[in-house]
Amino acid sequence: MSGSRRGAQKAEPNLTPILDMVFQLITFFVLVVNFKSAELDLTLNLPVVGSARPRPSGTNRMLVLNVKDDKGEVALSVMGVLHKKDAIKPYLDRESKSALIANDMTFDDVKDGSKEMKDLMVIRADAKCPFGHVNYVITACQEVGFRNYCLKTAPVVAGRPQR
Amino acid sequence: MTCRHSQEEVELNLASMLDMAFQLLFFFILTFKPPPAEGQILLRMPPPQPVIGVGTQRAGEDENKDPNEVKPVKTLTITVVSKEGGIDAIAVGVPPEMRPVPVINQLNDELSKYFTGSGDAFEQVIINASPELAWSELMRVVEICTSQRFSDGKPLGKLSFVALPSSQMP
Repeated sequence: MSGSRRGAQKAEPNLTPILDMVFQLITFFVLVVNFKSAELDLTLNLPVVGSARPRPSGTNRMLVLNVKDDKGEVALSVMGVLHKKDAIKPYLDRESKSALIANDMTFDDVKDGSKEMKDLMVIRADAKCPFGHVNYVITACQEVGFRNYCLKTAPVVAGRPQR
Repeated sequence: MTCRHSQEEVELNLASMLDMAFQLLFFFILTFKPPPAEGQILLRMPPPQPVIGVGTQRAGEDENKDPNEVKPVKTLTITVVSKEGGIDAIAVGVPPEMRPVPVINQLNDELSKYFTGSGDAFEQVIINASPELAWSELMRVVEICTSQRFSDGKPLGKLSFVALPSSQMP
């Protein structure tokens, strides 16, 4: 036993190729990681619309509003934070003020129509959500000066019946 | 030259770096969640403005107008009445002359008549809908509206929503 141990050579695997491959994989995941997913409420079942198009690149600043029904009342989920009906208008008012500052505008500019906020309000509403709930959110956005909207839909999937 | 001969081969211990790299890799694999593919309909939605029928504004009417008065906008109205969340009845037109549309599949043909006939005369389209109408049902109407084209080829981009008051429900 002792003779065979003495005769054995130290075996060291070459770790460089495996390290290269692991770094390649890490680079891939770092590049494709999308923090925008945190804005999306993936529990929502979006309406299926065949003619809807994917989002073009290079769009303006946008705010993703997930509209849902909360025990018969409208609720707004933004970045994982749920705003109940009473908190929706104050929240949108705060967002409007920060958007006005970012655009170097005043509310009077927006009200008289001389200028327009370019911010895009992305509405993600559940397919079964009553229109009254969505309209409440859109009207609240309009009151604070937002004009441009993007209604999110689910794409038509082959084999899935279109509603 | 003698210095080079005396140098020993330096070997980095890559095992610890590989451990760290694997930790990072597992983190990214576990937290990787690709965003779902979603479509969108882009709309410019100003607050609904006072409605005027096409052709009701006479020549020279603007001369004696109060400059602070809100200018009415020529509007096409689509009314959608709901029953248990689904579409029960649809009517299209310039109030008070509303034409019923028997089924939603005929809405495209009905709207085409308005857009090809006097399309450029409309400045906005207002969709009046029952508050309990399901969002997916309303989106079917929105999809048909946004597929319309004016005679110059421009798509309809100005749309407004109004919730029907309960007194107008059948």
